[in-house]
Amino acid sequence: MAAESMPGRSRRFVPPRIDGGAEALPLASRKPLAVVGMAILAVYILLAAVGPFFVADPVATDPVNALLPPSFDHPMGTDNFGRDVFARAVHSARLDLTLGIAIAMCAMVIGSAIGVVAGYWGGAVDETLMRFTDIVLAFPGFVLALILVAVLGNSTLNVGVAVTAAFVPYFIRLTRAQALSERELEYVDGAKLAGNRSARVAFIHVLPNSLQPSLVTATLVAGWAILTVSGLAFLGVGIKPPTAEWGVMVSEGARDIDAGHWWTSFFPGGMIVLAAMAFHFIGDEFGGREA
Amino acid sequence: MSTLEVEGLTVGVTRSPTSILADVSFSVPAGKIVGLVGESGSGKTMAALTMMGLLPDGIELRSGSVRMDGRQLLDPARMTVSRESADMAMIFQHPQAALNPTMKVGRQIARVFSLQQGAGRSEAMSQSIEMLRRVGIPGAARVAGAHPHQLSGGMCQRVMIAMALACRPRILIADEPTTALDVTIQAQIFDLIRDLVAETGAGVLFITHDLAAVAEMCDSVTVLFGGQVMEEGSRDDIFRRPRHPYTTYLLDSVQKEVDPHVVEAGVDFELVGCRFGHRCDYAWEACGEVPDLVAVGEGHRSACFLHTAEVTRAGAS
Amino acid sequence: MWSYLGRRLLVSVVTVAGIVVVVFFIMRILPGDAAAVRAGPYASEEKLEQIREQFGLSDPVPTQFVNYVRDAVRGDLGTSIRTGGKVTEELLIRLPASLELAFYAVLLAVLAGVPVGIVAAARRDTWIDRAARVVAVLGSSMAFFWLGLMLTFLFFFRLGWFPGPVGRLAITTEPPETITGFFTVDAALAGNWALMWEAFTYLALPAVTVGFVLSAPIIKIVRSSMIETLDSEYVRTARALGVPHREVLFRDGFRNALIPVTTAIGIIFGYMLGGNIIVELIFAWPGVGRYAYEALRVNDLEALQGFVIVVGLLYIVLNVVIDFVYSWIDPRIKLGQRVVA
Repeated sequence: MAAESMPGRSRRFVPPRIDGGAEALPLASRKPLAVVGMAILAVYILLAAVGPFFVADPVATDPVNALLPPSFDHPMGTDNFGRDVFARAVHSARLDLTLGIAIAMCAMVIGSAIGVVAGYWGGAVDETLMRFTDIVLAFPGFVLALILVAVLGNSTLNVGVAVTAAFVPYFIRLTRAQALSERELEYVDGAKLAGNRSARVAFIHVLPNSLQPSLVTATLVAGWAILTVSGLAFLGVGIKPPTAEWGVMVSEGARDIDAGHWWTSFFPGGMIVLAAMAFHFIGDEFGGREA
Repeated sequence: MSTLEVEGLTVGVTRSPTSILADVSFSVPAGKIVGLVGESGSGKTMAALTMMGLLPDGIELRSGSVRMDGRQLLDPARMTVSRESADMAMIFQHPQAALNPTMKVGRQIARVFSLQQGAGRSEAMSQSIEMLRRVGIPGAARVAGAHPHQLSGGMCQRVMIAMALACRPRILIADEPTTALDVTIQAQIFDLIRDLVAETGAGVLFITHDLAAVAEMCDSVTVLFGGQVMEEGSRDDIFRRPRHPYTTYLLDSVQKEVDPHVVEAGVDFELVGCRFGHRCDYAWEACGEVPDLVAVGEGHRSACFLHTAEVTRAGAS
Repeated sequence: MWSYLGRRLLVSVVTVAGIVVVVFFIMRILPGDAAAVRAGPYASEEKLEQIREQFGLSDPVPTQFVNYVRDAVRGDLGTSIRTGGKVTEELLIRLPASLELAFYAVLLAVLAGVPVGIVAAARRDTWIDRAARVVAVLGSSMAFFWLGLMLTFLFFFRLGWFPGPVGRLAITTEPPETITGFFTVDAALAGNWALMWEAFTYLALPAVTVGFVLSAPIIKIVRSSMIETLDSEYVRTARALGVPHREVLFRDGFRNALIPVTTAIGIIFGYMLGGNIIVELIFAWPGVGRYAYEALRVNDLEALQGFVIVVGLLYIVLNVVIDFVYSWIDPRIKLGQRVVA
């Protein structure tokens, strides 16, 4: 065609490129809320890790100094036994954060395993598991956890088990849906043709690829788990006084409030909400935007 | 005389040096169909959206001029084409997705009549049924009461065209209007567009990657790649006397029955110089610069250093 | 439509049956002796035996189950061992209190959450959007018990704008004659405007507490579904044809965004059907949540089972209603074809 008028073919030409681009923006400006969440969480983890070594005894009573408003000596005041609210709140951070994160991780591991089984094998196994999660999800997780603690008995461990059980169905649903779509992809056929047994394919190949949305959900669940644990404690279920726990503290502080002593419930409650927010900022920004 | 003249249109990603359209110019005379051709990612649709003032978030118009009969439509303060005075209407690639799923199609057309001419509700409705009839829909009154999901793709495209015509446009921008449709339906839609051009005297900017459609429909053609104009000319210029390596590549790909949508390397928008450079068999060092469009015939221009190199290289050796 | 209802009914019956079975057997594992609670600390062994006999607690578990199901089908959910009253009646008395609170809380959440979500979507990535997302995160991270307590402290103890947490009306006020069970509605029907106003003032703090938390998911879902519709091709078409911004936002954008929003509202309302135990306790709200909690504390099995079953039934009824609303909003969807996200 018109090619005759053109000079001969040259070697492959590699043109220069502009450097930089949208990806170069730092995390802080792409996902500012996640960075805020991580910062809050870092402070909490620091408090939980080293805080208890620096603050006063959380259960030491001092009736002379009961119900003092916040001051330099007692940044969050003292409660009606004269215990330092800040010291109790710091000790509680260790308990609540550990519970929140542990519950989220356990629920994720158990729920994902069951979800992969349901989604990958399908059929009657799937049907049974799904009907079961339907039933469990038909009533609120809080009520479920409440009944389970009543069945298991009051203890910190049992609260952990009960709240975990209440959140497991979320992960079953999520992982099952992921596994259902992953199952159709070619690499799974490839793995099967390579002679892998189906259990191996399910867990080694499908599970890791279903992980990303589960991790995002786990961040949110960690926040909700803290809310649930402290809510149960507020009702006097599970963790009981005199343990330093945010929900227990709010519950005890609620009795002071009609006399105007707001600080015994305001600060521990605020700690709960801020902790949950930290997790939700992270989960929201990574889940809500990209998925 | 030209109705629509676009000059030096440059569009880029906000806060990034990347440009999606670089110095793109073309014109659409009244009563003519002008093809804007290129593969996916060549910037065809972006050019159309710019003219409609519909650039998505994160994409900004950097410079250029859009004139209708010599009147500037580009608002320099807001760097966007003002919609009010545009006299342009657009039809889209996926007609079913382009119609509101929760609104009856008659209402959707009537709404345009109400907006454009301040027609009352019932008057706008009868006008919209009339318009549906005009775009060749049998049982127009019944179709007017249907929701888009109840209609076929071809029917939806006719509805879309009716909506566009309700604007009484002087320029109709058709963005891949038949890509999503069957071949037989495609021919019907082409006939309809040609009839409407003859009838209303509107100019059409016909955006497509389908060279067969261009050969059938267009009076003149602008070939776009990577947001740069590669070559422009009459239909015969482009099909019989292509000068730019990309145009020949495009024509060859049809003969070899390669779908130009299946692209080996895609477009790299961060390249400096000619965007076709990394895929061009003839590229050499000079292609690190952007070549100018040079006249290679009467009304036929091409942007390639090959045209100037013939002279300079010959002189050098 | 009838085949839809039939299918739906079948699934519902299976689900409710599942709930009954699971709950019944979980309840039997509960530690503690309900009869001992009923009889009091100083009861004799004969008295305990008598109570167990009376409430059927000495029968073998399978017999108890068969008897329970037989009665439940007739609408008799047994007798509360705590109060001695019929569970069905006790729940029906308390249900309107929970539903009224749930209704106003969801209403508040929708009235606040929908506009915030729309504005956030329309002004995406601006500071307004950021602020809306922070509010949504705050809502979903809020502890009911703390918010309720703080609102009570501020608006009752400090400012005195709203009445204290003593229930649906002042203790000395005679409730309106029961027609719907909603005090605000019954008072209005009786033409007693002062009483209606009082009911509203007592509702305010608990409804705001719950409503704020519920507004979070509504903001999120409205925002994301609005963004999706605003990015859609039909919204682009409307703008290309010169439809004014406001009309595009509401007629093209919001109407289509309503579909996921309806589902979200339905799910949220379903969540509230069981009452909110913590809020009902804090505000001394005489609803089913508090009833269930008190039943749980003393191993009142029949009452707790009854609660779970009634909530399950309401949840299913609600889902059918959502299906109907759905097929009305979105002409593409026929009954029963709802795609659950």
